[in-house]
Amino acid sequence: MRLSRTLSFAAVFAALIAVWWGAGRAGWTNAYLLPSPAAVIAALADLGRSGVLGHHVAVSLGRVLAGFALSVALALPLAVVMTASRTARAVIDPPLELLRQIPPLALIPLLMLWLGIGEAQKLGIIVLASFFPVFLGVRSGIERVDNRLLEVGKVMRLDRAEMLTRIVLPSALPSLVVGLRISLGYSWRALVGAELVASSAGLGYMIVDAENLARTDIVLAGILVIGAIGLLSDLLLKLAVQRCAPWLGDQLETAHA
Amino acid sequence: MLEFSDVSRRYDVAGGAVVALDNVSAAFPPGSLTTVVGRSGCGKTTLLRLAAGLTEPSGGNVQRTAERIGVVFQDARLMPWLDVAANVAFGLRGRLPPAEIDARVAAMLALVGLERFHAAYPAQLSGGMAQRVAIARALVIEPDLMLLDEPFAALDAFTRRVLQGELIALWQRRRPTVLLVTHDVEEAVLMGETIIEMEAGRLVGRHAIALPFPRDPTDPAVVGHRRAVLDRLIAGPRFPVAASGVKS
Repeated sequence: MRLSRTLSFAAVFAALIAVWWGAGRAGWTNAYLLPSPAAVIAALADLGRSGVLGHHVAVSLGRVLAGFALSVALALPLAVVMTASRTARAVIDPPLELLRQIPPLALIPLLMLWLGIGEAQKLGIIVLASFFPVFLGVRSGIERVDNRLLEVGKVMRLDRAEMLTRIVLPSALPSLVVGLRISLGYSWRALVGAELVASSAGLGYMIVDAENLARTDIVLAGILVIGAIGLLSDLLLKLAVQRCAPWLGDQLETAHA
Repeated sequence: MLEFSDVSRRYDVAGGAVVALDNVSAAFPPGSLTTVVGRSGCGKTTLLRLAAGLTEPSGGNVQRTAERIGVVFQDARLMPWLDVAANVAFGLRGRLPPAEIDARVAAMLALVGLERFHAAYPAQLSGGMAQRVAIARALVIEPDLMLLDEPFAALDAFTRRVLQGELIALWQRRRPTVLLVTHDVEEAVLMGETIIEMEAGRLVGRHAIALPFPRDPTDPAVVGHRRAVLDRLIAGPRFPVAASGVKS
């Protein structure tokens, strides 16, 4: 089952590359606007050999991981507090709902003014983009906890803290995992946005720099690398969850962003 | 000790009040084994939920002095993120040393015939197996009050008979107060020291079954009790028995 899924996944990509390659060979596409797969692979190889690609990937990956971790660290406790306290909901919900409607990229100018153009600004954008899926995931998971399981805890005389850690949070785990996967995807999207604007390193910067130099092959190479790392990180997250929470099973599949 | 004094429970359903339990008084002395039998919707489960403290009475009060309460619900209610052994140990964790928990869980899994499935997750179990885990989870805490709501309904006839026997043996050994709700009249007669009959939220009959355990369903005395209970339940509404008549 898993093998056939991997094979069909690979076949789809092979077919897409074949169409891309064929369109170039047939002269249907402009080689400047859409360089051939061979040109993009050559650009990737050059970037890889010179260490430029590794440097940009490392910078971007570091930012995504830091921003993602910060989002989770903020979203988890806040979601718990807000489901437990009516006052916290009343005070925090309205501004959060307002903020949720604003695309993080629209806040870039403000973040540049507040946080400068360094790492803090980029982390800020990633956090704004990836916070809500985790936050909303945990909240909905907690709110939908099965009352019948809470009754089991009640007859076992669990206290409030035990109810939270032994029933409520494990119950919310499937929703949390869905939130984490969506959030990781959003982190990557926001990162490139942040790096496009004001940056001297990272995959977003590499793409903008190549565009300025009219190197469409490097632009495409950068885009593909972002896509590949995004897929890979999603896969790693999925494997980690499967290992830590084997009971989740197919519920992970509902987590596509 | 478990005692109901003039307990009523009303629910609001679609704007109207439904009386699930109507002015019920009953005492269940320590170490007693009582089965409660009646039609669906007669208030049996509400009685049990009040005894467990899961529902508050609308009127009257419920007194219970039990230290440890073991409840088996109609559905297994296992934690999907815990394996079978951890589900059985759920009520013991943090309250006993790990080695003792392991020993008790192993013994309980052997009792319900699930030793080989200790590492399985609830999603991998059949309904009957899950219910056996739920029974083990309730028994492993060595409760002094056991509340069972149709605990064997999801089991096959063979497993049901084995677990009914085990529950009786356990009760004879440790003498917890047991309240078992069932709509199966044969089960009520096989397992009850006392049978309470319920109709429309009221206790309408209380009968001691003075037969030794274990009881045989084909024993003419058991068959006779079963027929008598069935006849009374089929005959329809009766006046509730006086509170003093219900007390043991």
